[in-house]
Amino acid sequence: MKQPLLSLVNINKYFGDFHVLKDISFDIEQGEFLTLLGPSGCGKTTLLRCIAGLESIHSGDILLNGSSIKDMAPNKRNVNTVFQNYALFPHLNVYDNIAYGPRVKKSMTEAELKERAANVLELVQMLGYEKRMPHQLSGGQRQRIAIARALINEPAILLLDEPLGALDLKLRKHMQTELAQLQKKTGTTFVYVTHDQEEALNMSDRIVVIDQGEVQQLGSPRDIYNNPVNLFVTTFIGDRNMMRVRVLETEATHSLVQFGENVVSIRNSGQHQLEVGREAVLAVHMDKMRVSCHEQPNALVGEVLSVHYSGSQIRIRVKVADRQITVVEYQKIDCECEKGDQVYVTWEDHGAILLPPEDGWAEGEV
Amino acid sequence: MRMKTSRFGAFYLSLFFVILYLPVLGVILYSFNASPSTAQWTGFTLDWYRVLFEDRVIAASFRISMEVAVITSIVSAIIGTASAVVAMRATAGMKRAIQGVMILPLLIPEVALGIALLVFFNSLNLPFGHFTLVASHSLFCVPYVYIMVQLRLKEIDRSILESARDLGATRWQATKTIILPLVMPSIVTASLLALAMSLDDVIISTYMSGPKTTTLPVHIFSMMRVGVTPKVNALCTLILVGMFFVVGLSQLFTKKIHKEDM
Repeated sequence: MKQPLLSLVNINKYFGDFHVLKDISFDIEQGEFLTLLGPSGCGKTTLLRCIAGLESIHSGDILLNGSSIKDMAPNKRNVNTVFQNYALFPHLNVYDNIAYGPRVKKSMTEAELKERAANVLELVQMLGYEKRMPHQLSGGQRQRIAIARALINEPAILLLDEPLGALDLKLRKHMQTELAQLQKKTGTTFVYVTHDQEEALNMSDRIVVIDQGEVQQLGSPRDIYNNPVNLFVTTFIGDRNMMRVRVLETEATHSLVQFGENVVSIRNSGQHQLEVGREAVLAVHMDKMRVSCHEQPNALVGEVLSVHYSGSQIRIRVKVADRQITVVEYQKIDCECEKGDQVYVTWEDHGAILLPPEDGWAEGEV
Repeated sequence: MRMKTSRFGAFYLSLFFVILYLPVLGVILYSFNASPSTAQWTGFTLDWYRVLFEDRVIAASFRISMEVAVITSIVSAIIGTASAVVAMRATAGMKRAIQGVMILPLLIPEVALGIALLVFFNSLNLPFGHFTLVASHSLFCVPYVYIMVQLRLKEIDRSILESARDLGATRWQATKTIILPLVMPSIVTASLLALAMSLDDVIISTYMSGPKTTTLPVHIFSMMRVGVTPKVNALCTLILVGMFFVVGLSQLFTKKIHKEDM
């Protein structure tokens, strides 16, 4: 059996009385781009710091290549971190920043170091900046140096703590692509922390969704986007209309549910047991829905409240059974309906999901 | 209206500085006065400086003062910096304890501190001289170094230290290669301040001086008993120039700190 690169085994961590990490277990495979995704305060950064050795854990174990590293000092662990604010050493120039790891560990000669430094600088496209001081660099450049400084140590895992958080939107998009390419090129295992679902969906091989210190779901971006396992993941990932419906009938592949006057057929996700006669939550991706003025099968009937044009997309708000839902249509020059029209709202079969309701969940547009 | 207030402010400030510095200017002026009395100006002379340099006792006490000040500034730089670094890594409770102990010497009146030290060293049968002077001066200089270094340490982003450890540095390597270079300007500034304070201390030095180890300020103080001679003015002028030099140096380092900050 193939051994995972890193295994997290029942990790628990407290800050005082606060239970930050609750029994977290999962494996990280060699060479993958794994993202820890969750709202702020969910424990994702703490988990990353536990792997780096900057925080201790109260129980459980961390295995790197099968051997425990949980009691190792951070300087003994073969993992490196890229911090959110880059944490470059302000009194050292770019070259000395990059050379810091090999020098303190005395892991290479100055000649080797020179060659390796040139390699990593080329990887992050910063050759020629060796003599610059950190304060002479822009945010994006500092970020690249921070990555190069970590990569020169050839870590088993590169840990990235919201590395794009401080950059502006345009640069962030650009760096997303660049980071993903860098990961493929070096073959280094990346563990990436973010609260930005778009970033996570874009770059990752696998995503771990974390909320309140617990793993909510682990899977490929597509899996997490299309088949969320619970209401938290459903509301956190993707923009969905959430509707409280009544289950009328369940069949092999689809279930019949009632929403107001409408009775529609929704696919079964296979993960959830739904009881006939009970309530359920119907969640549909806004961009998987369509609005038509002509009668359609398996549709929700409603009235158009407003139509907004914003660039390539059209947002249409429709009132169905006293509830507002939003439909986002792309690649359409014009909406065929206007405010006040009666419309039929349909959706792509895989864009809808039925979930059992949870306590404290309030119906609403997310 | 605004104009008026600012004019008044400028006037008030000028008056403040005139009152503060006029006597100092007087000292400098009268050190070049040919007449031994401060009552009248009879002409320019450098005689008092010649007399000053010929005075063996003053030369000896100046040497003692300098020796004590230099050693004190080095000792307090080391102790103060070390305490600040330890406090940074300590738990919150420990940090408060260190802070309290560090600040305490500043709160005790110097007269009381002097007597306490006198009794203490006496009971140890230590001879009064260089050692007692350096020990007592360090006692009130260490807090200043501690405060200045600790303020600088607070400004250092914690993740910089974490990142040093993460990149493979041991605790000591991180201290040596990251913390010390970053706080060095503060250490230098603080030790210059310690130097100045040691040079200028009278009260504690009065208790701590041995029969053959009188510091310069203590000696000047004793000279005052026979009246202010122009020789004292000349000496004070030289001390002033020296102090300005030291303060100027420390300002230079403070500027360097701000330049390096990102």
